Amino acid sequence: MSTVLILAPVIISNWPAIAVAAAGAGSALGFTVKQTAKEMLQQDQKARQAQTEQTVELELAGSEVLAQGLATDQRMVLTKGSMQIVVERDARGRCKVCASGQAHSKAELRQAAEEFTQKLTQCFIYDKVMRELKSKSFQVVNEEVMQDESIRIHVRRWVE
Amino acid sequence: MAQHDVEITISRTGEVKVHIEGVKGKACLAYAQWLTEVIGQVKSRQLTSEYYEPDVKSRIDLHQDLKAEDGAP
Repeated sequence: MSTVLILAPVIISNWPAIAVAAAGAGSALGFTVKQTAKEMLQQDQKARQAQTEQTVELELAGSEVLAQGLATDQRMVLTKGSMQIVVERDARGRCKVCASGQAHSKAELRQAAEEFTQKLTQCFIYDKVMRELKSKSFQVVNEEVMQDESIRIHVRRWVE
Repeated sequence: MAQHDVEITISRTGEVKVHIEGVKGKACLAYAQWLTEVIGQVKSRQLTSEYYEPDVKSRIDLHQDLKAEDGAP
């Protein structure tokens, strides 16, 4: 053994990379990407009129979604049954996850939002780490998903 | 040729454990520094006995510079 590090993830990236991780997290948790941002805005208005929906919002700690010029489509809507999760860049540039659904309690929505946030973080870090490892000529020796849902990656590099 | 192994465990919450193996001396800190920049902030660090062993004459080149050692003709 040489060194063991424990690292807390920091998500600072542009929207496309976060959107890929959000789609991956959604897929892993049984959600499907449903709508474009414009369609979502229209449905938001209808939902506000109904005023019966519970909503829980979470912010990814330490996240920063880098602004991309005038890009406005920095929002993704995912659904599973009657539950809806919206991932978006808020006004301060943070990544925000919002869970909502008429047939769900606040506690259920909070749990779903937390689970989604964690999975999004895991997917984002996995994508980034694998990209960086490949760029440094590391070869994957083994990769497995453990019982506790952690991902273990063993990589190797030969150095003269 | 020296074999450098890295085992990375990404927990379900996104926290990452990095285990760098086979890299002696302070060269392993170059890997640690690089992975910290990629992933986030250090919560804890443990240097093990291998860290204190003398460096072998292996050179890690994370920037993959492939400059020719001799001048071109």
